[in-house]
Formats: sequence, C-alpha cells, structure tokens
Amino acid sequence: MRIHTHVRNGVAAMAITATLVGLTACGAGSRTNEGATEVECDYTMPEADTTVNVLAYNSSAIDPFTDTMVASCTRDNVTLLHDPIDFSGQVTKTTATLAGDTGTYDIIETYGFAVPEIASAGSIEPLDDFVTEYSEKYDLDALDEGMRSALSYDGQLYALPMQAQMYIMAYREDVFEDLGLEAPTSFEDMIDAAEVIREQGDIEYPIAMPWSATADISTNYQAAMNSEGADFISEDGEAQFTTEESRTALEGMKSLLPYMDPQVTTFDQPSVQQQMFNGSAAMAVMFSGRMNDLTLETNSALFEDFAFAAPPKVGAESPYLFSRLSVDGWAIPANTQLDKDMLFQMMASAVGEDASTAAVPAAYPAREGIVTDDSSRYAVAANNTIAETMPAPNHPASAAVTNAIRPVLVQVLLGQTDVDAGMQQMQDLADAAIDGL
Amino acid sequence: MRRREFWMLIGPSVLVMFGLLVVPLIRTVQWSFQQVSYGTPGTFVGLSNYTQALTDPRFGRAVFFTVFLTLVVTAIMLVVGYLVAIGVNNLTRLRPYILGAMLVAYVLPGVVGAVSFSWLFDQNFGGVLNLLIERLTGQSFLWFTDTWPNRVMVVAHTVWHLLPFAVLMILAGVQGVPNELREAARIDGANSWKMHVYVIIPTMRGIIGFVCLITIMDVLRTFDSLIPLSPQADAIGNESIMFYVFDTAFRDGSQQLGLGSAVNVLSIILILICLFPFIRDLLKEAKAKA
Repeated sequence: MRIHTHVRNGVAAMAITATLVGLTACGAGSRTNEGATEVECDYTMPEADTTVNVLAYNSSAIDPFTDTMVASCTRDNVTLLHDPIDFSGQVTKTTATLAGDTGTYDIIETYGFAVPEIASAGSIEPLDDFVTEYSEKYDLDALDEGMRSALSYDGQLYALPMQAQMYIMAYREDVFEDLGLEAPTSFEDMIDAAEVIREQGDIEYPIAMPWSATADISTNYQAAMNSEGADFISEDGEAQFTTEESRTALEGMKSLLPYMDPQVTTFDQPSVQQQMFNGSAAMAVMFSGRMNDLTLETNSALFEDFAFAAPPKVGAESPYLFSRLSVDGWAIPANTQLDKDMLFQMMASAVGEDASTAAVPAAYPAREGIVTDDSSRYAVAANNTIAETMPAPNHPASAAVTNAIRPVLVQVLLGQTDVDAGMQQMQDLADAAIDGL
Repeated sequence: MRRREFWMLIGPSVLVMFGLLVVPLIRTVQWSFQQVSYGTPGTFVGLSNYTQALTDPRFGRAVFFTVFLTLVVTAIMLVVGYLVAIGVNNLTRLRPYILGAMLVAYVLPGVVGAVSFSWLFDQNFGGVLNLLIERLTGQSFLWFTDTWPNRVMVVAHTVWHLLPFAVLMILAGVQGVPNELREAARIDGANSWKMHVYVIIPTMRGIIGFVCLITIMDVLRTFDSLIPLSPQADAIGNESIMFYVFDTAFRDGSQQLGLGSAVNVLSIILILICLFPFIRDLLKEAKAKA
C-alpha cells in the first residue's frame, strides 16, 4: 500500500500549492475599488434592479477612471461590475460583445485605433446628442479637442475621451551628464550618444524600445512613419508602404538595431522598463503610461537618475516627433439593453475634473489644464510631445492592415527580407486588407 | 442494476459530455466549412478553410514544430521519468517530500510556471541558468530569438512541467511488479539491467502506454507556455498548432472562426493518428482482461 502513502502526500502537497496559487491569484485580480475618488454620478435611477457591466483593461493610467465610475455610480438599484482584465483580453472581449443583437458589456473602454472600425460597423453609439445635452452639467467642453477628434469617425464622436498616451524618452541623466551628452533629438543623435556610452564600457546596448514582434513593433513603425509625415493609410484610404516615408522609417529603425539588445523583437514595454530599472540601457522610448513606474523608488535604485524628454525625430529635419498619440475613452455598445442616457452620465462622471485630477501622474487626462509642468517629472516632456506629434486619424482598416503587415515588418527589421521587397509585400497585404473590408 | 437506476447514475455524465464535448465538436466541424464571425450565422464556403490552412506555410511550420516537440518530450519523459521513478522508489523517508516537491511543477498554472522558467534564461530578469550555461560553455545563446536554443528551452520547460505525472505513474507501476517475478529473475541470474529490460518494463507496459497517451495529448495541446517562452514563435518557426489557431481565430480582434475551426479539425485528426497505437493497445489489453 506504499503507493497510497505517496498519493496521500502528493495530494496534500497539491492542495497546499493550489491554495497558495489561488490566494496569490485573488490578490492579483481584485474587484475592490478601495481608495477610488468619489464624484457625483447623477443619473435617473431605474425602477428595476440593474447591473451595468464595464469592460476596461487594468493599468495604472486607466484604473483611476474605472474605479471612480464603479465606486461613484453604484448605488440603490444600480450595481456596476468590472472584472480585472489585460489589454489583449479587452480587445478579444470587445470583438465578441459587439457582435450580434446582445452583448455582455454595457460600457466599454476603447481607443482611437479601434474606433473607426467599430464605429463604421455601427457597433457603438454616436455620442454627439448626449454631449450637447450634458455639456454644461459635466463641463465636457474642457475635454481636449484633439483627443475628441481622435475618438471621432465621419464627423461624429463615438467615445468620451478620458486620457491619452504619447511616446516619451526616458534617459539616464547621470550617464549623459558624465559623458557631456544632451538628450537626443533625432535617431542620428541617439546613435551618436549610444556609441559614446558603449565606449565608456558599462552599457553594451544603450538604446531600449518595445519592439515585440507580436504587438508593439508595428506601433513603432507607425510612429516612425508619422515622424516623416505619413501614416499606414492615407486620408483617401490608400496604403502607404511603398512611399519614401516608409523607406526612411524602416531604415531609421534598422539603424538603431546594433545599439539595442539582440533579442529586442521579444521585448514589450515591461521588458524595456526592466532594462531601465537594471541599468542595462541608458535611453528608452515608450508610451507615457509606463513612465511613472520609472520614478518610483520601489522599482529601481536608479529612480532618481532618470530624466525625461520628448522623443527624437527620425531625421533631424523630419516634420514630427517619433511618437503616436493613443487616446482612450468610454463608449456605449449599440447592443446594450440598458438606458443609454444613464450610461452616458456614468461615463461623463468618470471623466470629470476630480477623477481626472486623481489620475495624475499615472495618466495624461483628456481634460485640459489638469497636467501642468509641475504635475510629474515627465509632464514637460508629455506636453512638448503632444504639441509635436502628427495628428493621425485612424481608418476602419487600420487594425486589419496592422495585423497583416506585422510579420513582414519583423522579417525586414531582422534582415530576413530586403527593405524594398518587404515594402512591396506590406503594400500588397495592406491593399488586400483594405479591399477585404 | 435496473435500467432506471443505470440511467439515473449515468445520465448527468452523458448530459455534461454531450453539452461540453459533442455539441462543440459538431459546431467545430460545421464552422470549418463556413466563413464565421462572432454573432452572425456562417456562410458556407466548402473546403476553402481547409485549402487555406493546408497551403499556408505557417501552418506547416506549426505542425512540424508541434510533432517535433511531442516526439522529443515523450521520449525524454519516458526515459527520465523511469530513471527518476526508480531513484525515488529506492528512497525511504525522503520519498513523500521529494514527490510532493516535484508535484508543484505539475499543479502550477502553465503560464505561471512558464513565466518563471523563462526568467531563468532571460538576462533582463536575472537569467541564472543563462549565466551558468555561458560560464560553462563560453558561448552566449539567444534563447528567445534563435530557433534551436529556443526549442531546447521549450522542450526543457515542457519536460519540467509534465515529468512529475510520468514519475508518479511509473512509480506506481514499478511498485506493482510482483516480488515473486523479481525473485524468480534473480534466481535465474538476471542482473540489474536485465531485471529492468526483461521483467519490470514488460510487466508495466500498460502504464507506460498510458503515460505516452497522456503526454502526447498534453504536448499536442501546447499553447499558453509559448507566450512567455517564445514571444516571436511564428518568426522563428516555433509556433504550436494551438498557438496558430489562437493567433488566426482570435488575436487582436481577428474573427476567422471558420479557419480556426478547420485547423482544429485537422488537429483532431493528427491527434488521433498519433494516439492510434496506444488506444489500440489499451483496448486490446482491456479485452484480454475481460
């Protein structure tokens, strides 16, 4: 019966481990809104018990808005529910909930890249009438015009902007000062600085960027094209991958590779943060939502040595910065069965002044005047970046085109495909994606 | 047992199996012949999804990698699992603690174990094993972007994750070998090697077949561990079939549910082909015992 003893002990070990794993998981994905800012959420109370399901990914920039909405708008007959989820999960669930006559969610977090596709399909509600009706009550005129434009399609607003992210460059001020270097303003400057830093000997790969082959790399390519004044898809709906701007962007990105970790195509934003925390990189460009972590003592002994600047341009004469403006906002699914007026007022409450103020410095709220130069160590960089980022309204085919070209882009950057051949392949794939819409 | 009692006892299981296995299977086969998006009825497209899958070089690479991983891991599991089981069987007081500690790797959620495992090779997160291997070999490896180093890492993780199951099963088999057989072999002059090859292993053939069956099924379904272990799996040819299905059918809001279903049907056929010898042997054994 020896095996019975083994099984008993094994089961005991499994039970203890499963309990520990379970407890850890509970801590990681809590529904609690403890510490959320309370604001007035003044909607007409429905007579029946009502549950409002909210879909929003968890991040330090989005959580303050979600927590404010859930904590402030849950009362009497109405309960708001929000389950923890990551960005990738939100994208998948958004697609599923917006399909068909009914969906799981009543309020969804969305972003400028996705709005044209789901708005053109009639999957989310236009909000202009609500904005007109409630503009004064919720001071909606204070929401940045550019961010409202980023969440509009065909002249109508489809999501109420809450916050935006833009690229920011973080660099090691101590290293730059010791070597007499200035914050780079072009890719060429970055390379010059990287060579000096490498010669000094401590940092072999001074440049860090999130070029993950399954996600971020296409956003970086788009930012590089934007710096040259072009986008993946032109205003008249034509793919732009065989243009000179596309070539300059690709060659600019390839020129940085020798100064980046050889495994950079597996690096997402947390990996780049980790490079900065470790001191294995001296300069990094990524979205502003990741910058607050660099300023926290709990994350790195180097936290005081990081300085922040607007990202460089691809070329010294490029018209715009190497940056993307990604605007997040709240939208109402067209297939929700709940009162849309009530849902709009919940969303408007969550982008109010108090909620927006509480979101700083983790977020850059859409409400004007909230982020001043003193708001955070990277506020000046954020304000400067917004001023010089190419306004790039998205196209309904943007997501499909981006997914289609990404594998070829990786091959081009890794040197597996020639630049010219890669540009043509991406053009063909993009044309097919646009035609298939 | 009366017919009524029989149906009362078996009914709930039949209902659950019908709802969670048969219905999704029928729907998967149906969708594999359709173009389907969420929330909309599918449109019949004949064999178009199958043609698309079978002519996609990426699917071919995914099948090759998945079959390679399955064969290598199953072979290592049997050899190492047997050796460890024999070692553990010879332990006395430490045995339950060693077994309990080994089971942690098996009960950990796959993706959690894979993330921790990937950090052992990731210089950015310490990379203890990477450092050790570099010191020992004098070479540096790109574990996440070079095809073969990445394959070695994925195989090592899969073995680490599944080995406790093989050890536990084989240990049970080893302890089930009758002492009379061992004594008879010893009297006939069998040394340790012959004892294992001609007595112990043939006696527990059924258990080894069962370990193979479960291992093959588990490895053919490899999916979540590749997210941390092989972040650019497609670009370096280390994408599994299930990862390919996820990427095609769901990722980034993709809605190619018909194509995903066709690949799933092809995967089921592949799994059945791989498992056929083991299922046949198990059925034969069951028949013989009956």
